[in-house]
Amino acid sequence: MGRRRSFDVDEAVGAAADLFARRAYDGVSIDDLVTRLGVHRNSLYGVFGSKRGLYLAALRHHIDRDVRPQLAHVAQSEHVPVWDLLLVAAVDRAPDDLEVADLVSSVFAELDEATGDPRATAALLGQWLRRRPDVARHLETASDRDVPRANDVQETLPSKEI
Amino acid sequence: MAVISVQGRDLIVEMEGMDKLWALKSKLTIPLAHVRGATVDPGILGEPKGIRASGTHVPGVITAGTFHRDGEKVFWAVHDALKAVVVELTDERYTRLVVEVDDPRAAVALVEQATSR
Repeated sequence: MGRRRSFDVDEAVGAAADLFARRAYDGVSIDDLVTRLGVHRNSLYGVFGSKRGLYLAALRHHIDRDVRPQLAHVAQSEHVPVWDLLLVAAVDRAPDDLEVADLVSSVFAELDEATGDPRATAALLGQWLRRRPDVARHLETASDRDVPRANDVQETLPSKEI
Repeated sequence: MAVISVQGRDLIVEMEGMDKLWALKSKLTIPLAHVRGATVDPGILGEPKGIRASGTHVPGVITAGTFHRDGEKVFWAVHDALKAVVVELTDERYTRLVVEVDDPRAAVALVEQATSR
């Protein structure tokens, strides 16, 4: 009860948001959170009450920090925003958790207002979904940069034959 | 093993069989307003339990009873870590309960449903 928090709550919530966005709700254990956030287990329970409490804090943090400030910007440009936790939450948790559903719905409604057309919102969400498979490919090419690519190897082959 | 249920505005945690004896407690009744949440947490068995005030502690076999750690009072009743559920409380004698239940996911869903309305 009287114990002081020895960690930065905002920082911990941000780290949790990143983890939940990548691995979804069930893919993140309390062990994962304790390790990644660098927070004692009893502090985690003391501050957030439960894993769900931390998830809701992480989702709200993401909406306030990453989503709301971009709403106006999104309506005017071709840029597809990085709103992974919001969109993963819509797929993963909203059907099972009324509070998550309310949060996601209210952001979608704000997005409708910003774009002025629900179809524009739908198109934006569709673009995010369509680009998902490219994320993995992008990461792969980035990590392959140090290794010679298949094309480079082929190009050196003819010189050997000569 | 413990059975978690909701009766009216209370959360009831009842110890079954010999666990009543190991934990020296057969039933806990907590107003739902004092329940902050529930979490499936197998990893918590690996944490230091603190000082045992009452009950039974055979590491790796059973943790049951009342333990004090860092100014917190925690009630334990767990044999199988995989089935451990953590119930966080407020304004209660215990800071949290760590109990083994038959179906951890179902128990967490029950607590979340009962406390979120």
